[in-house]
Amino acid sequence: MVPPSYYVLLSALIFAIGLYGVLTRRNAVVILMCVELMLNAANLNIVAFAAYLGDVTGQILVLFALAIAAAEVAVGLGIFILVYREYGTVDVTLPRGMRW
Amino acid sequence: MVELGFQQADLLPLAPEIAILGSALLILLIDSFSRGKHGKAAVAIAAASVAAAFAASLALYGTTAEAFGGTFVVDGFSLFFNVAILLVTALVVVSSLDYLEEFYPEGADELTEYVVLLLFATAGMMLMASSRSLVTAFIALELAALPSYALVAFAKRNRASIEGGMKYFVLGALSSAFLLYGISLVYGATGAFDFVAIADAIAAGDVEPGVLSLGSLLVLFGLAFKVAAVPFHVWAPDAYTGAPTTIAAFVSSASKIAGFVLLFRLFTTAFPAEVDWVYAAIVLSVVTMTYGNFAAAVQDSVKRMLAYSSIAHAGYALIAVAVFSAEATGDSAFALGAGMSHLLVYGLMNTGAFLVVALVDDYYGAGYTFEDYAGLGRKMPAVGLAMAVFMLSLAGLPTGGGFVSKLVLFAGAVNSGFWWLALLGGVNSALSLYYYTRVLKWMWVEEAPEDQVELDRKPLALYASILFAAVATVALLFAFAPVIETATAAAEALLE
Repeated sequence: MVPPSYYVLLSALIFAIGLYGVLTRRNAVVILMCVELMLNAANLNIVAFAAYLGDVTGQILVLFALAIAAAEVAVGLGIFILVYREYGTVDVTLPRGMRW
Repeated sequence: MVELGFQQADLLPLAPEIAILGSALLILLIDSFSRGKHGKAAVAIAAASVAAAFAASLALYGTTAEAFGGTFVVDGFSLFFNVAILLVTALVVVSSLDYLEEFYPEGADELTEYVVLLLFATAGMMLMASSRSLVTAFIALELAALPSYALVAFAKRNRASIEGGMKYFVLGALSSAFLLYGISLVYGATGAFDFVAIADAIAAGDVEPGVLSLGSLLVLFGLAFKVAAVPFHVWAPDAYTGAPTTIAAFVSSASKIAGFVLLFRLFTTAFPAEVDWVYAAIVLSVVTMTYGNFAAAVQDSVKRMLAYSSIAHAGYALIAVAVFSAEATGDSAFALGAGMSHLLVYGLMNTGAFLVVALVDDYYGAGYTFEDYAGLGRKMPAVGLAMAVFMLSLAGLPTGGGFVSKLVLFAGAVNSGFWWLALLGGVNSALSLYYYTRVLKWMWVEEAPEDQVELDRKPLALYASILFAAVATVALLFAFAPVIETATAAAEALLE
């Protein structure tokens, strides 16, 4: 059996890649994909721990987390369509009407 | 082994949440047969279900029950916050009736969608209050968050609303990822999602301390985002300013309250003082209230000032988190109870203040700067008086419950040896008086300009909500004793 520390390292790496993408990308859809990567890193962690602990609860949470991520994408893309209609692009740095 | 399936006994304690969810589904069903025709009926159903949930929460008071294998627990603590969240929802639902028709004529057809999203978010917040497992907590939090993103961006042709919604969504999704990653680490360290089981595992010493600390810190970050604590607040001013003002009232009050409930329960039940995160709470509290107050002081827009003021209030409530987590010699149940009461009072006065902005700025179109409020107090004395109550009570003067709730909050901190935290809070409150009274100066002292907009229309529902919030805020000044006693009793039961 692969020891859980391998999975934890892999998921930490995926999480870091996702975070890097969120911080550097300007396209809202790419940022959303990077957030999904971070969520899936967490899911991978949970599944690995659940298998290691022989506990089914973790796997159930992952199923819910996947469904929630899908709902999040639906809401997010809806908002991005509104942004696209107003600004003609989904660059997150462009809407800056509110500054103080 | 957890029994599969559930029984009637599981459903009864969650009656308030089920009433809200059921009515939301009912409104959706009606709407799917007659598209966009029954906006007012939807508001009526929503108001009735909020009233029913409110009554059910009060009726359940005093019972303690677990549901669904202990993943939900209904106790005095969760019911107290149910009441606070439902009060805010009721004010917002009722005032939306006038607001949406006037300010977003093109959105009037979508009144049903608006109401349904509000109800789903409310149900999510109430479930956050009763969750006692990281699984249900995460799902409830998302149930509260997803409709909130859509509601902030609800004014589809308004650039500010879209911008606020986008920022809220992107940062909210990011914080969910942090939260879920934190949950995964806590699960890996303790092998449990249930708050009590996590505490047991920590007490047994059978955990990886590094993984657990990192996990609980990430969970704290995720929730700090929810309550808009500095430095996780960057979305809040824009989301509150851009959102339709009734939604700004809802998100800045109810959503913040729900975030604090989860924070309180998680860090009292699951992560007791073994996990040393009290310094994180102290730093968050000090930075949040100071930054919120200074940023509020330099705003031109009343709505944006209120947005920063709500950040400052998150800082005050975080004092309670810092105090009960320090396990100091004092009475930590009292400190937690004080935090709970402050959130209840804050919900009323903050919602009321935002509704006044909804009336003046959006409904009458008088404008959003302080100057635009000139002379409004004498033209609409009832609203002017209500605003005076909200502003002075938010600042902590004895015109409303805000005075006593801040007093007990600081007293709880002093009791537990955090006198300097209370002192900082007091200094911050004194600072906040500057920008709160600035609104009142423009409303009551300054003369109205010649070309001021007509104020002849009287939106009954919006007026009623504002006046109800004002009367309740004043009443809490005199009837605060039962509130703080109930809250402290609930906190004691939680801390046992």
